[in-house]
This record gives sequence, C-alpha cells and structure tokens, in this order.
Amino acid sequence: MPQHEPSALLHTVEIIHWSALAVMGLVYTIRLWWLLRFRATRDRQAPGNPARTDGRRGALYSLANVAMPWAMESTRRKPFFYATFVLFHLGVAAGIGLAFLSSLAPGLVAQPAYAAVSGTLLAVAFVVAVGRIVRRVVTPYLRLISSPDDYFSVIMLTFWFALGLLAQLYVAGVLAGEGYLVAFLLATSFFLIYVPFSKISHYLYYPFTRFWLGRTLGHRGSMPPVRA
Amino acid sequence: MSSDSRSYKAKVVTELLAKKLTRPLVASLVSCVHCGMCHQACHYALANPDDPRMTPSYKGDQLRKIFKRTYDWTGRVAPWWVSAKVPLTDEDLEVLKDIAFGTCTNCRRCTFNCPMGVDTAAVNRTMRGLLTAVGVMPEGVRVVSKDQWEIGNQMGVLKEDYLETLEWLSEELVAEVGDPAAAIPIDKKGAKVVYAINPREVKYDPRTITNAALIFYAAGEHWTMASDWWDQTNFGLFSGDDQLGGAAGRRLFERVAELGAEKLVISECGHGYRSTRCEAQNWAGVDVPFVMESAVITMINYIKEGRIKVDREKNSIPVTYHDSCNLARSCGITEEPRELLRLVVSDFREMTPNRQENFCCTGGGGAMSMSEYTPRRLKSAVIKAKQIADTGAKIVATSCHNCVDGLSDLIKYYKLGCQVKQLVDLTAEALVLEECAVRRTPQRVVTMPEPLPEVAAAPARDLPLAGRTVLVVDDEEDARTFIAAVLEDAGARIVYAADGDEALAVARRERPDLITLDLSMPGKDGVEAFTELRHDAELATTPVCIVTGHPEFRRVIYDRPVPPPEGYMDKPVDGEQLVKNVRRILDTAHAAA
Repeated sequence: MPQHEPSALLHTVEIIHWSALAVMGLVYTIRLWWLLRFRATRDRQAPGNPARTDGRRGALYSLANVAMPWAMESTRRKPFFYATFVLFHLGVAAGIGLAFLSSLAPGLVAQPAYAAVSGTLLAVAFVVAVGRIVRRVVTPYLRLISSPDDYFSVIMLTFWFALGLLAQLYVAGVLAGEGYLVAFLLATSFFLIYVPFSKISHYLYYPFTRFWLGRTLGHRGSMPPVRA
Repeated sequence: MSSDSRSYKAKVVTELLAKKLTRPLVASLVSCVHCGMCHQACHYALANPDDPRMTPSYKGDQLRKIFKRTYDWTGRVAPWWVSAKVPLTDEDLEVLKDIAFGTCTNCRRCTFNCPMGVDTAAVNRTMRGLLTAVGVMPEGVRVVSKDQWEIGNQMGVLKEDYLETLEWLSEELVAEVGDPAAAIPIDKKGAKVVYAINPREVKYDPRTITNAALIFYAAGEHWTMASDWWDQTNFGLFSGDDQLGGAAGRRLFERVAELGAEKLVISECGHGYRSTRCEAQNWAGVDVPFVMESAVITMINYIKEGRIKVDREKNSIPVTYHDSCNLARSCGITEEPRELLRLVVSDFREMTPNRQENFCCTGGGGAMSMSEYTPRRLKSAVIKAKQIADTGAKIVATSCHNCVDGLSDLIKYYKLGCQVKQLVDLTAEALVLEECAVRRTPQRVVTMPEPLPEVAAAPARDLPLAGRTVLVVDDEEDARTFIAAVLEDAGARIVYAADGDEALAVARRERPDLITLDLSMPGKDGVEAFTELRHDAELATTPVCIVTGHPEFRRVIYDRPVPPPEGYMDKPVDGEQLVKNVRRILDTAHAAA
C-alpha cells in the first residue's frame, strides 16, 4: 500500500481545505440564524378529528421520508430515479469522506476495500451526474425552471466526482501523481465555500422544511398519509 | 434593483412579502432543487404535456424569484445566477395572476410528492395573497371576496333569502316526516350543536340542508342554525387573504359562542372545513371554547351510538368516493367518509389513486369562480375524468361542495353519465326513520298526522303547481321536454320558447307566473333575454329560475345591473328539486306580493 506523504503543496492545499470547511461552518451558522429569524407559526386548532393527529409523529415521518421510497407516489413509481438519487448522494458522501480522511486517516482511504467501495461510488455518481446534466438539458420543463446555478451546481459536482475518483485511485496507489489529490482538495474547498450560496444548500434547509411540514400536517392528521 | 422603474403595485407586492414570511414558508422557498419530481403529481402538468409552465416548481418559482431578489444573499448580489427577479410592471403582475390563479388549484398533491417537503400550494397561496392585496385577481375572486366581506357569505345570500329558504325547507321537512319537531331551529340558545353550512346549499343545493336537518331530527339532536354569520366557507383560503380568512372565521366563532353551543358541526365542504377547523383560528389569532367537527364524523357517531339507523341496501347503485384535497391532504379526513359510505351504500368502489394521492376535482382553489380559466380547467380535468370512468360507478360521492361543482362540470364535459352526491344525501336516503332515536324516545310525544296522499292520486288542484303557468325556455328539445314534463306532472300549465326572442314574445303574450330560462341559446341568449325581461315594465317582476349547463355563467347573470334571478339550477336537473325550487320561488313571490 503506497504511503501518502504530503508535500508542501499538498499540505498547503489541506490547510486551504480545512479553512474552507471552517468558512462553510460559519456561513451555515449564519444561514440558520437567518432562517430562524423569520416568524414561527403556531397551530391553534385542537388535535383530533380525525382521531389520529400527532404533530410529533408527522414530523418524524416527514423527516424519514427520504429513506422511504414507497412513501411518495413520485418515488414509488420511479424506482430507477430514486436509485440514482441514492447513488448520487452516496457519491457525495464518498467524496466528502475521501476529502477529509485523506488527511485525517490516509492509511484508511488507501485500504483496497475502502478504495474499491469509495471509488465505485464516485464512479457511479459521476455517471448519474452526467445523466442529470443530460436530463436537465433535454427535458423542457426542467430547462424552464433551471437557473445558471442549477446547471453549474450539477456540472461542478460531476467534475468533483471525476476528480474524486482520480484522487481515490491515487491514494490507493493505482495512479501516480499527487496532482489528482491536490486538484480534488482544491475543488472540494471551492465546493465548500460555494455550496452555502447555491441550491446545494438544500441539504441544510430541507430537514427544517420537512420537519415543519410534517409537524403541521401531522397535527391535522394527514401525515403519515393513509394508503389503501 | 432599481425601485424607480417599478409600478406602484409591483412595489407594494414586493414590500408586502415581508409580512407574509414565516419559517415554514421561507424553508419552502429556499429548499427547492428544481428536480422536477412534482411534475408528475400535477393534473395540469399531466394533462398539458406540451406546456412546461404547468410544472408546480415553475409556479412556485414565481414567488421564489421575488424572495431571492429581495432576501437571498446570492439573489441580491447576482440575481441572474439564481433567476431572482421582482415584478416591474402591472403587466408582470397580470402574468403572475394567470399563473397563481389559473394554473394551480392549491390542491397540495405536489407537496406530498416533493422529496424536499416544499409546500408549493402554500407558496402559490402566498403569491395569490400578494396579488389580491393590490387588487390583481380574477373578477370572480373579487366578487366573491367582496360578498364575503360585505354580506357575510361568499355568495352574497341576503339574510331574508336565507331565512326564507330555511323556513321553506323546514315546512317541507315537517310535512315529509309528519312531526313539527322536525322543524329547523334558528338561533336556539343553549343548543348543543350549531350547524354551519356553505351558501351554495342555500342557493343551489337546498336538499343537503333538508337532509342534514332530517338526520339531526332523526338522531334527536339538540341543534340549531344561526340566523347570521352562518357561512362556514372562507374565500380567504383561495384568495390568499388572511385578513378575510380571519374575519370570516371570527364571525362564525363568535356566533357559535353567543349561542352557547358545545359543538360546531361543519357541513360537507372541503375548503370550508379546512378554513374553519384548521386555518381560521391561526388567521384570526383566536382560540375557541367549543369543539369543531365535520358533519361526516357527526353522522358516523350517530350511527355508532345507535341514534340513527341506516339501511345500506337503500343505496344499491355503484358508488365511488372522491377525496376532497382539503379534507384528505390538509386535514387527514380519509377514512371517516369511507367508513360512512360502507354503512350507507351497498356497492362502494375505490377510485385509484385515492386518499392523499387522489387527484383534484379541478374545481378547487376557487377555480369555479374564475370563468376565464374554464377551458384550461376542463382540459386538465381529463385526469379526473379517467379516474372516475375507471371505477364504473354511477354515483361519485364527495364531501365537498366545490368538488360537487367541479365534478359535475367535468362529468358533463366528458359525458361520463354519472351523478355527484354528498354523503349527507346518501345517509339521508339510507335512513330508517322508524328505528331512529327520535321515534324511540319514550318521553317524546309525536303526533303523527294522516299520511300525505300520493301525488299521482291527488286531484289536480292539490298538485304543488296547480293553476300556475310556467314558460320553459331552452333551445335543447330534450331539456325543454323534460322540464316541461316534470312541471306538468306537478300541475303547471306549460308554454315553450326555444330562444331569447321567442321567450320575450311568449312571455308578453302569456304572462307566465314563472320563467325557467336556459342561458346558452342561439340568437338572443338567456343573459340578454333576462336583462330585457328585467327592463320590461310589465314583465320585470316575473320570477325567473335560471336552468343552465354552464356554471361559469353564474357570475355573468348575477353581475347584471338588474335584480338577480329568483332561482338558479345547474343541469342536469333533478325533477324533484326543480319542482321544489319553482314552488319556493312562486310562494316567495306570492308572499312578497
């Protein structure tokens, strides 16, 4: 197993990368403060009628919804699309894992088993991401609703997956050349700083969206939904 | 942004947004990733595959753009990058009006299919509210909102008309069951239950009031209706006007509290139930000291408690159930209507998809009051039409008056050959009155009058319309013949006309006691003929009952600068209802004279 010995360049890039993470953390904190400054809502209506009304249960169900493809018609009827969604986000997790573990635990990411799983996820996510670009370009209603940020975000992630795959191959000793890891970490740094200002920040907001929706509808009895 | 270039209204819309922003709304505005998963959830999008503007995300983006341009960091610095934009001109607002009111019924189906939990219906309602605040709204929404603000109910039913209708219904019910105790109580202080209704029931579907009254009577309920602030519907939900929503809700709540009732039972109406039970307290910022309950739940409880007895074999025609969006998706009422239907009908068939996944009737969100969008609404109704046709049912039961109108319209348009009924109608039809609480209560002294004679066996002078002349105006021979036959059977003498000109000529010659008037006819149509009648010194007071297959013409006829028609019925016409309506109109006219 090749040893990952950071050069001065790589060391500098790692510092940039961790600094970018700190910036992202700060920006996200401000973002949450910003979101919570808006007026809270209150459901005054009494629970019950129908009998099963439970805001807490609704909120939990709503939060868990992402892991229940059977819960929504949109995912239940499109299992392939849901699978690509899962693979895409597993690829994101693999890329983030590689970015941090490459400096925190270089021995781990160089392990063949880790490299195989991480590399496969990044490769599949790359393919899915390319598919997403094509889908966004060729589908009229997606074109209509897409902003430059929508295109840039998915293109940026596509490159990031590709760089992540190359970096994974480098740390696993399959490819030679530190430049792959340097490029990947620089891309990750940009990614970390850009994300809070882009649509990718949805992963910060969506738990709140789902929580509030589920709490309200749970209190009214329509979440979890009943199916025949 | 250059605020100078914006019109006054555009500026106000942007400024008012600040007052509407809540945490859940902001979360919905910032969480959309434009994945397009909502597309397949929307009946407008499915029925208009060539029009990408029907995608729910696009509709939500209209407010999202304004929000981003005004509040979002990226949107303020680099608006083009995230498509942030505020409306600049009144024309921009008109475009937004068309999207917010004309391409979405706020049915919330996309909300339930969004992986992010984005509540596009709530976003769209907020957009409607901003536009309404500056007077940019469909004419129908303006008229209905005005009526609700000024008259106290969304159809502008005057107090005297409301009370007269209740009196007439009450008399009929008393005669039908042969018990004075069946009379509809008004403003009875200390009653346990106050029953609030939709003004549509007074104006177009009074049988639902009679049926509810029959059920309350049969259950031996201590109930009442209010003489004013009785409207449980709330156009604030549709127009996005929380002030109207709060005011309408507060009036009703205060009236129920004044009457000292323990419970407010809300008649079958999806948006009315949602507004009254779930939203109005929040809009008005008040808590209420009484219980609020859907009439569906009330009826189930009566059956479970043995207070009323039903026989489902009385309803043997195949019935399916259409879930109202507001009841199912926004209030969780999905199982109760099914439980009730299984008790009162013998052949119940599920519609697919159903419950929270059901498609909108296409008449929701106030769509029935926006006649300018009728062609788009009916085109998009193809999804619902297929759902209904696939069940093979002959009756579509629903628990919502908006749905009754929306479904009736699309059933006619797509020639599905079925009818729409409410659960209160089916329950009343299944009632076994002899075994209900009212007939079992030992201390109750019920004086049963002699059975009423059969109509067919009655001498002509006892028929309800005996001695009356009715002018039936309709260009369709089938419709003319049917209406004439029904009224003739009720004792009326019938004269005919097939268009507006002929109607005026016959009316001048025959001086009928009442005119039933179709609106859509070749040549001089019903609207023109009606206006001329009202301007004719000798015919101006002749009562007119509009009978039309175009519900969207309601606004047209009621907006004429002449006294409104005395009655209004939708086709297809129920014979029994026609006779009742005509009799009521004639009795009212006679009393007024």
